[in-house]
Amino acid sequence: MSGSELPKLARVAHAGHCNRCLSALPSSHIQIDASRLAIGFYCFGTLDLLGSIYEKTKEIEREGWREWLWHQQTNRPYGTDPEEYSEYDTPHLIMTYTAILSLAILRDDFEQLDRNGIVRFLQACQREDGSFTSFPNGGESDLRQVYCAFAISSMLDDWSGVDVDRAVSFIQQCSSHEGGYGQQPTGEALGGTTYCALASLYLAPSVSDLHAPNPHVTTDERRRTIRWLLQNQASSGGFSGRTNKDADACYCFWCGASLHILGVGDLVDRTAFLSYLASCQFKFGGIGKAPEDRPDPYHTYLSLAALALFPLEDADPSWKLPRLNALWNTTEDTADWIRQHVPLYTVKAQSPVRK
Amino acid sequence: MPDIAGDGPEEQPLFSERPDWTDVTPVPQYEGYNPIAPIFYTPQYKDATDYFRGIVKTNEKSERVLELTEAIIRLNPAHYSAWQYRYHTLLAIKAPLDAELKLMDSLAVQFLKTYQVWHHRRLILTAIYSPPPSNASGLNDPTATTSSSAKSKPSPESQAAARTELAFITRVLMVDAKNYHTWSYRQWLLAFFDDVHLWEGELGFVERLLEEDVRNNSAWHHRFFVVFGRGQLQGEEDRVAVLKRELSYTKDQIALAPNNASAWNYLRGILERTGTSFSNLRSFVEPYTKTHEDRLGDEEILDLENPAPSAEAELPCVAALEFLADIYEKDAVSKSVEIWKRLANELDTMRKKYWEYRIKEALKDVPVQS
Repeated sequence: MSGSELPKLARVAHAGHCNRCLSALPSSHIQIDASRLAIGFYCFGTLDLLGSIYEKTKEIEREGWREWLWHQQTNRPYGTDPEEYSEYDTPHLIMTYTAILSLAILRDDFEQLDRNGIVRFLQACQREDGSFTSFPNGGESDLRQVYCAFAISSMLDDWSGVDVDRAVSFIQQCSSHEGGYGQQPTGEALGGTTYCALASLYLAPSVSDLHAPNPHVTTDERRRTIRWLLQNQASSGGFSGRTNKDADACYCFWCGASLHILGVGDLVDRTAFLSYLASCQFKFGGIGKAPEDRPDPYHTYLSLAALALFPLEDADPSWKLPRLNALWNTTEDTADWIRQHVPLYTVKAQSPVRK
Repeated sequence: MPDIAGDGPEEQPLFSERPDWTDVTPVPQYEGYNPIAPIFYTPQYKDATDYFRGIVKTNEKSERVLELTEAIIRLNPAHYSAWQYRYHTLLAIKAPLDAELKLMDSLAVQFLKTYQVWHHRRLILTAIYSPPPSNASGLNDPTATTSSSAKSKPSPESQAAARTELAFITRVLMVDAKNYHTWSYRQWLLAFFDDVHLWEGELGFVERLLEEDVRNNSAWHHRFFVVFGRGQLQGEEDRVAVLKRELSYTKDQIALAPNNASAWNYLRGILERTGTSFSNLRSFVEPYTKTHEDRLGDEEILDLENPAPSAEAELPCVAALEFLADIYEKDAVSKSVEIWKRLANELDTMRKKYWEYRIKEALKDVPVQS
C-alpha cells in the first residue's frame, strides 16, 4: 500500500477526543487520578501537534488551565523546600515534567516558575545509585524518572540539581543483553525505557549534537540497540515494546523516536508504520493501542508524535504534522518557547515569538 | 468497627457518616475554575480522600489510618500518597508486617499492572528482613540491596520467607507470564536475599515456563539474569561449563522453534557477554540458513552438539542468516553482503533499509576494487 492509498488522519475527531478528556473524565477513571497532569499533557500535546490549540480552546479556558497548573506547584504553603513537604503536596518528578511542557504549550510566561525550588527538588530525588525517585524519600525509581530529571534540567538549562555522572552510570547499567534498556538494571529491554535512556544520554550536558558519536554509548552498544529496536517493527508496521510481544501504537513513538535519536530514523519502514497507526484510529476519534481498541489521550498523543517524526512524502495532506523535538517530546515551536522562557537566563530569541 | 471484608464499597458508611471519625476535619481538594481532566469522583472516593487530606494535615499515624488508606488504594491502586503514608504509618505504629504482606497477596492479582503495589511489597519485605535505620523519614533508599540487604545472615526464617515470596510470584506469573513488574520484583527478591538455595531453583523455573511458551522473552531475560547477573556464584563458578550448558540449552530451543527472536537474542547475548566468537557456532547455524530442499543434499549426521532443524521448521531462518552474515563480516564481507541483499529483497523486506545500511556500513572500511 503506498502513502497515497492510506485513509486520512481524522484530525478533527482526534482533537475532539482530547478536548472531551480535558473537560471531564468518568468515575471509571479514578485509577488515573494521580496522573491528571500527564493526561493533560497528552491532550495539550495532541492539540499542539494538530495546530488546534487556538481554534479548539478559548483563552479563558487556557488561562484557567494555566492557573490550575500553577496551583500544583508546591510553593504554598509548604514551599518547595524538601524539609517542608507534607505527605499530600509533595511534588512528583514525572508530573513536574509534564506540567512544564503543558505550560509551554499553553504559552505561559513562566514568571511563577520556582526554578531554585525545582533544582533542590531534583537533588532531593536522586539516589546513591544515580537514579531518581518520583518524590523525595520515596516512590519507585527507574529510567522514567531519570529522563524527567534530565529533561527538566535541560529545559531549565541548569544541571546543578543532578549528579550527571552517577545518573549516566545508572542508565548504562540498564542496558540489557538484547540491546534495549530495561526499567532498572536487572530489567528486560523495553521500548519506553530505551527511549528514556537514549533521550537522557543525548540531553546530557556533555553532548553537544545529535549527529556526533555520543560519549556515553559505545559503538557496540549502539549497534545492538539499533538492531533490537528495528527487530521490534512487526509485520503490521507497528512496533512492539519487547521481543515477541504484540505491536502497540505507543511503541511506535518510544522505539521510533529512539531510532531517530540514534540518527537512523530513515531505516524504519515508513509506509508500514503509517498504515499501522492509521488503522489504530478509533471511528469516533482518538487513537488506540491497536486496531479496534478504545482510544485514550496517551496513545493518541504518542501516535501523532511518532507520525511527526516520520513524515511520508506521498501521504494525504491530512497527515502533515509540525516538526517534533524528539528529546523533549514536544513540537519545535513549543521547544522554542521553552528555550525563551524557562531558563533563568535566556539568549535573545532567534526567530519571532508567536503570541 | 465495620467489617470491610464483608461489605461491598457501596454499602460501607462514608467516613463523614461515622461517629469514630468526627474528630477529623476533612479537607476538600482544590480544583480552581477550570481544572484539567477533572474526574467525576464517586462519593466514596471523594469522602475517603477528603479524610485522607484531613489526617495528613494533623500527621496522624494510627490503626484507623490503615483502614482509611486501604479504602483509598482499593478504589485507586495508583494513589501513591496513600501508599507512602500507609507505609510510614505501619512502621510508626509497629503494625505486624506479615499481616500486611497477606493483605498485599489478595490485592496483587487485581492490581498486577500498578507500580505502587509492587513498590510497597518491596518496602515491606525490606522492613521485615532488614529493618531501616531509626530515622525512617530520612531514608533515601530503603530497598537498595547494597546498603540494606539480608544476605549477611540468611536465617532459616528469611530463607523460608523468600521461598514463600518466590512461590507467590510464581502464582502471579501463572496469571500473566510476561508481567514486567512481577518479573522485576522476582529479580529484586533474588538479589536481595542472594541465597544460593533460591538461585538454584531458578533455571528449572525458567525451563518450565519456556516449555509452556518458548517465546516468552521475559523468561529468557530472567535466565540471562540468573546465569550472569547473580550475586552468589556458588555452584556456578566454572564459567566454561556454564557457557557450555547455556549454549546447549539454547541450541535445543532453537531446534524446537527456529523463528524465535528471544532464543537468538539470548544466544547472541551469551556469546557477546563471554567474549566468544560467533564463528564457534557456524556448524550449528548453517543448516538453518538453507531451505529444506537445499538440505536434502547434506549428509544426515546426528550431531547432539548441533541439533538440526526439524522437518516442520520454517526455513530458511532469517535470524540464522543474520547470524551467519555477522560471522562472515570479519573476513568474508562479500558473503555477508550477499546474505544481506537476500534479506533486504526477499526474506525480511520490512527491514530492507536496515540490511542496506548494514551493507553500506560494512563496505565503508573495505578498499574499493578498481
